[in-house]
Formats: sequence, C-alpha cells, structure tokens
Amino acid sequence: MALDLHKVASSLFGMTNDFAASQETRAENLANAIKIFASANNAKSLKNKVEASKTSWLVAEIVNDFNGKHKPGALPEEFGILATDGSQIDVDRHRGARCYLINIGTVALKYGNNPRAELNSHPLLFSKEEDLAARPDNYIPGREMMVEGSLLGIRRTVEEFKYLAELCAGIPKKDKALALVDGSLIMWGLLSKEYPDYIVDAVLENGILQQMESIWQLNSERQVALASYISFSRSTDVVNALRVLVCPHEKADCDKYCTGVSTEERPCACFDGIRDRDIFWQSLDCDERSDVFASRSRINCTRYGRHRVHFYYIKTFDEIARVEVPEWVANDAELLSLSHSLVINQCYKGQGYPVALSEAHEQAVVTGADRENFYHLMDEYMAGKKLSVTISAKSLSKKTRWV
Amino acid sequence: MEGVNERLGEVIEASTGGFSAQCYKLYELPALGELVKCHYDETEILAVTCGGSTNSFEPGRRPIARGHDETSEDSLYQNNPQLNQLLRSEFGTVVVGFRQEGKYYHYLPSFPVRLHSFVYRCSDEEIIAFGESLEFLILLEGAQCEVPVEELIAACIRRMSVSNGPDSGFSVRAGKKLTEMYSGDYQRLRAILARLR
Repeated sequence: MALDLHKVASSLFGMTNDFAASQETRAENLANAIKIFASANNAKSLKNKVEASKTSWLVAEIVNDFNGKHKPGALPEEFGILATDGSQIDVDRHRGARCYLINIGTVALKYGNNPRAELNSHPLLFSKEEDLAARPDNYIPGREMMVEGSLLGIRRTVEEFKYLAELCAGIPKKDKALALVDGSLIMWGLLSKEYPDYIVDAVLENGILQQMESIWQLNSERQVALASYISFSRSTDVVNALRVLVCPHEKADCDKYCTGVSTEERPCACFDGIRDRDIFWQSLDCDERSDVFASRSRINCTRYGRHRVHFYYIKTFDEIARVEVPEWVANDAELLSLSHSLVINQCYKGQGYPVALSEAHEQAVVTGADRENFYHLMDEYMAGKKLSVTISAKSLSKKTRWV
Repeated sequence: MEGVNERLGEVIEASTGGFSAQCYKLYELPALGELVKCHYDETEILAVTCGGSTNSFEPGRRPIARGHDETSEDSLYQNNPQLNQLLRSEFGTVVVGFRQEGKYYHYLPSFPVRLHSFVYRCSDEEIIAFGESLEFLILLEGAQCEVPVEELIAACIRRMSVSNGPDSGFSVRAGKKLTEMYSGDYQRLRAILARLR
C-alpha cells in the first residue's frame, strides 16, 4: 500500500495552521532585526564583541564592514566559467558484489569572442578493497571505516574538487575565470560524525585543500576566482552577530548568562526564526552583494589556512544566495569583484541559478533508471564470468511484490 | 553547395525504407528533398531528406525562451554557448535507391543502413547520375513522413533541377514522370506542379 494521504491530511492541515499563526510574530521579529541591522554602524566595536563572545551558535566574523551594499563590477570581455557537480550510486549491501560509483559532471563555458562549451561526465567505479574502506597508515584490523553513506558523499566532494582543479589547470594564461561548486566550501559533513584524524586529513589536507591550493597557484599568471554557491541558504551567521550586538552583557556568553533562562526570555529571542537571507532580501537591491564575512566554524578556523572560508550574500532576481570564497579571493578586490559579477551573470543566464552549476548537475545526475541499468549490466557481466549474482531476500522481496 | 561529399551527420535510427540522422553541428541540416548517401560495405545507399528538426538532447528538458534581454539571435547563442551542446538537429530520409559496382538502382536495397553510418551530401555529379531515372519518385510517393508528399516530391525535383541545370531537359522529364504517376489524380499533379515554379 502506498502512502495514505487521507491519514496524513489532517496533520498537514495542522502544520500549515501553526505556520500561519507564527507568521505575525515572525514578521515583527524580522522588521525589528532589519532595523537593528541597518543601524549597526560601528562595525569595529561589533567585530570586537563578536570575537570576544562565547556563544552556542555560529556567529559571522566581521571582516571590514557589516551592513554595506556593493553593486557588481563590469563583466570582462572574455571569461570562463568552470563548474563540477557529482552524484553517486552508494554501496548496496543487499548485493553480493560490493562497489560504488561516483559520477562527476564537468562544465567549461567560455564567453566572449569565441564562445564555446564543454560538458562532460566522468563515471568512476570503485570496487577495490582500498577504495571500499578508509584505513590509517598504521592500520589496525577493525579500525577502518567503510566508504558508504555520508563518507561516500564526502569522498564525492573531494572528487568534484579534483576535477574542478583539473579544469582550472586548462585556463590559458592571462585569462579570467570563475571556478564554481555547488554547496558549501566548508566540509560540514566532517563535523556530523566523529571522524578519525586520518579521514579528516585525507579529505582536507590531501583532498579539497590541496585542490584549492592548486587553483590558488594558478593566479600567478591568470585571474581565477573560486566560489561556491548556496541557493536558499538557511544560515544564520549574520543574524547571530545581531544577537551578539543586542546582548546586554559586555561579553556575550550563552553558558554563563543564559543557562536555565527560558527561550522566550533570552535577550536575543527577538531574532528567533530569522535567517540571514530574510535580512538581505530586504536590505539588498537586485544584483548587489553584502559585505564579506568569515565563517568562525572550528574546522574552518583551524584547518583551512589561507583557504579559510569567507562568504557574502547576493540578491538575484528571485532569491538571496550565499556565495562562499576562500580567503585569498575575499582579500583580493579584483577576484572578489570577479566572483560577484560572474555569479550574478551566471544566475541571469540560468533563470536564477548559475547555468554552469545546473549543467554540471545535469551531467552528473544518476537517475533511478540509470541505477537499475547499472546493476543490470553488472549482473550480466557477473553471469558472463560464471559468478553468482547474490541478492538479499529483502531486496528481492521489494522487487517482486506479491499478494 | 559546400565541398563534394561533405559529411553531414550520423544515422541514429534505421529501417529499410528510411533512416534518421543527427547532424554533427547544430542547424547544419540538409535541405528538404536533398539527396544524401550512406555506405554499407561496398554499397552506397541513397536517400532523400524528408524533414528536419531541432530539439533538446534530453526529452525531459524543454528549451525555454532566453532572449528577452538579447539584442540579436546571434548574441543569444554567443551568451549561452552550452546551447550548442544541449540541442541537436536531426533529419529524416526516405531511401530511394542504391549504387553497386558503379550502377544505380532506383528501388530499395536489401538491408537498412547500419546505425552510426556516416551520412554524406551527394555531389552534383552523383545527383545528375542518379536522376537519369526518376523511378525513385514512386518511393517518395509512398513515404510516411511528416511533410506532405507533394511538398517532398516538389522539393526533390527542384533540388535536382539545380544540379542538372536549366538546359538539361531534366524538368521536362520530371514533368512527364509526374504526369504518368498522377494520370488519375489531377488535383495532386496540379499541387506538385504548382510547387515547381
């Protein structure tokens, strides 16, 4: 029996009622937040207060200013946009043969006098023991981590960066380009579980940071900005800076001052339910970007070095997006401006979302039918080699439904 | 007409009576009624193009209007270079004969062309040689294609007339052949002749 919508309809109705009831309070909170944001004219003092704060939530580091608005610079006559995206077929533990597939979509677009496009996909199959389990150098049996689920997602991101760096290596000298990835430059996935150091090192130092480094090095003879694009971001880093701003204590310290205080009575409760995008939707004009902030996440501050992730918000014609850039882009006025103007231009070409990212996704996507075909081909090859095609009883029962 | 035996594209669907081909370059379609050929071992299979189309590569991705702020259609393509990779031009053909050991035959070959066969534009010399007999028009008459048969036959004769030249007598021969084919269907004959002017 499929989902019985009749049974869930009343719960859905109740949920929408709750949303509607909270709208009025939220609108009041937002109006108040925008007023506080607009009047925060002492960025230096706020910066110091943020740096001294001890909060239970992530607060944006103020780099220079706080509530400025910046129009995009003029587009270069010639420029390139490089983007990658990925998808995967995870290990199916109901099958005898363990393997996984990562499909990386790559896009290289050249604009100007000789426009051209190269769209490709790179399916990578992993079935060797060293691919299926991550192990430290001084391996002790039982200490390995199986590469599947969220760890496979992380591995995929590393492959996306590898291919992006490869694309960037092909940028001719003196050219200007933007290298774009979907999602965050910060590997939040590494924080979701307690991954051992050898995994973190493999993903960061020997993974994405190595690739970011090689993209950075290209800048000696070219202008290559690296950025990631987060559509409809749920971040609250800037709102949290406002929480610090309104905190009545000289040094905001949630544990010290607010432990045991009810949610509604906290001095910063007026920002509940507000996201950064709500504030910037009202404070920015179309195409403008906000000031640049830095993420104070632990992993970013301790591991990213010169690639420490900074971010700004842009307003496209239909949403606020968060654009993350490494420190070397944030600190270089030309690269920063290049990233801003090219991202905005990409959004116009892509009906609100960067066209290079959307095409990279199209190249990478693995549909349900693709997955079926992949397993069908695998079974065929296995049968051809007289290998038994083992499928678990559970998997089989899902495929052959009976009454 | 460009160079002799210019390669136009590649067969993506084939049957004994016709085949479809995808152009290597977007919009570089042969004209309606043009004579094209494929190789099948030592045999050349000849076909007349019976329609072209340009569509999205993926059936689920419909093209959308993009040019609101563009100054020209050219600039639209310049500013969206990915379109050349995401769109494809295709043309359909009706097989009208074949050539074996230097001799043309104006009826269907024994086998359809192979998938991924290269499709070439026929040269003027080849068009003139094949057009020495107009028996193949009967195959066009029975063709199942999206354009009306009158349009297809007229387009093919017009195209062959250009290769043959005005003083070759080709038009007179074509007129006689049409009169013979449509002796009992004056309306259709008139419709085709009206499209030869």
